[in-house]
Amino acid sequence: MSDKIMPAELRAEEVLRIENLSMHFGGLKAVDQLSFSINEHEIFGLIGPNGAGKTTVFNCITQFYKPSDGSVLFRTKQGPVENLVDQKVHNIIRKGLVRTFQNVELVSELSLIDNVLVGAHIDFKSGGFSQALRLPKARREEKAMREKAERVLDFMGIADLKDALAGGQPYGVRKKVEMARTLMCEPKLIILDEPAAGLNDVETQQLAETIREVREKYNCSILLVEHDMRLVMDICDRVCAISFGKFLACDVPSAIQKNALVQEAYLGEKED
Amino acid sequence: MKEDSIIKRIYKSPYLHFVVFGLVMSLLPALTSGGILKTSWLGIIGGTIIYTIAALGLNLLLGYSGLISLGTAGFMGLGAYISAYATGNLGLPWEIGILAAVVIPVILGILIGLASLRMEGLYLGIVTLCVSEVLRKTFDELEPITGGFSGKSAEYPTLLGMFKLNQSTTFILLCVILVLVMILTYHLANGQMGRALNAMRGSHVAAQAMGVSLLKYRLIAFALATGYASLAGALYAHFIKFVYPSTWNLPLSLVILSIIVIGGLRSIYGTFIGAVIVYALPDLVLKRIPVIGDINGLSYVFSGILIILVVLFYPGGCVTVFYDLKRLLKKLTKRQVKDHV
Repeated sequence: MSDKIMPAELRAEEVLRIENLSMHFGGLKAVDQLSFSINEHEIFGLIGPNGAGKTTVFNCITQFYKPSDGSVLFRTKQGPVENLVDQKVHNIIRKGLVRTFQNVELVSELSLIDNVLVGAHIDFKSGGFSQALRLPKARREEKAMREKAERVLDFMGIADLKDALAGGQPYGVRKKVEMARTLMCEPKLIILDEPAAGLNDVETQQLAETIREVREKYNCSILLVEHDMRLVMDICDRVCAISFGKFLACDVPSAIQKNALVQEAYLGEKED
Repeated sequence: MKEDSIIKRIYKSPYLHFVVFGLVMSLLPALTSGGILKTSWLGIIGGTIIYTIAALGLNLLLGYSGLISLGTAGFMGLGAYISAYATGNLGLPWEIGILAAVVIPVILGILIGLASLRMEGLYLGIVTLCVSEVLRKTFDELEPITGGFSGKSAEYPTLLGMFKLNQSTTFILLCVILVLVMILTYHLANGQMGRALNAMRGSHVAAQAMGVSLLKYRLIAFALATGYASLAGALYAHFIKFVYPSTWNLPLSLVILSIIVIGGLRSIYGTFIGAVIVYALPDLVLKRIPVIGDINGLSYVFSGILIILVVLFYPGGCVTVFYDLKRLLKKLTKRQVKDHV
């Protein structure tokens, strides 16, 4: 697949660009020739009616699915631009791209802080041997990571719960833990899959605030899929709308709201 | 928490607990030679220690990674025979025998780990069971090495080629190894690796998104489980001094499995408690009861009933009983304080 792709090029302000991305499941074209790009320091929304293929796009970017066609260019944390399609799924986070899940995926039997520490998995440098014997180097590393995780939990406002088990927490807290986990690796781009799903109005407002703070503090871009239009229109710098896997429009939120194609996709055709 | 004094920190240190635990255990030979306990206790508690080691490995596999294995017995047997053959027939030092008895099964375990990438749950159980049965049949048939049906004998270990151990000192050696294995398990389970295994059990997708390579950590989990099992087997050979092929059958694997279910998944002390309940209790108590004690295979009935009870009422295993007692005690003392005020 990689031989078809031209040398990776991104404009200076871009952090991620997907080009002609397609994902076919048998005869079903879940994503069809989709292209858009996200700039550095941008909050970018991906919207579309149910079944439009938004989560499939996410899975293609993070390589849980190998796209049938197209490329995913990403400016990695290390500097060079790479095509993520060539990467294994567990190496994506090393490039500085990290995601959350639609149905919060935490380990219920672990404490909040241990769940957050899972996000630091790739940052551990000491080998298995020194960890098994807990040599001074491994001990120092573990301690430093634990302190970092405490800072992240503190930033999310749930530091006092750090030793509680994740399984017993309300949904809102679990969502915050998942967000905290993505922050451990100091990402360049965070992908949020329906961050507001299941939250009440007050929590959604807090979430909008948190997402903005994350962008400022960690100096990263954020890509989110969301059905809560108020949230999307409130925080996104630009929005891309898709329907049945096809590109509809990509613009600032106010323009997307007025776009005839988008209105048609959501509300159906006007009757004459 | 940060203001804890040094004494309190040492008192709270898990290492101290493990070492004290080992020291208490190693008092047993003194008790039996003093005539306070029967000599048979030594064999039974020694067996419990060996079972605990094997079960700790399975706990890393099943408890942490969520992968099942019904092949523990086969790997224990493999370790036992390799060690017995290396020290007996080849005349190698005990330490080398143990090393070989761990390394060779681990390689086999890694191969099964490779297969585990394609299988889950029941199917993985079936494959590991098959491997175990193939191994058991091999022990039967490979007479020049295993001694076939008549079994194979081994000696008490000779440490560093100088110190020849007897039953009591071998028991103390078992205690030392158990403490080391517990500390190792504690480190592995509470560090980066333990979290990666946990993440893998919790959710494959989340683990991968966080950079955990499923292949790598499944192989590690299988290597550890087989390593622990074969170490336990090798220790068995040198403690019981005799290895029969019929020992390494499915019931043994199920006993190890029931140890961690009854004792408590993901708990080090729970594993030991489980081993005491499943292995030592039937021998020390049940068989002494008149009439009922004569029933054949009573211990299986006992652990079968226990599994049902534990799964129904204490899904966290027997180790949670202690936490509950502690909480109850705290509640009671708090209430007393309130009454006084």
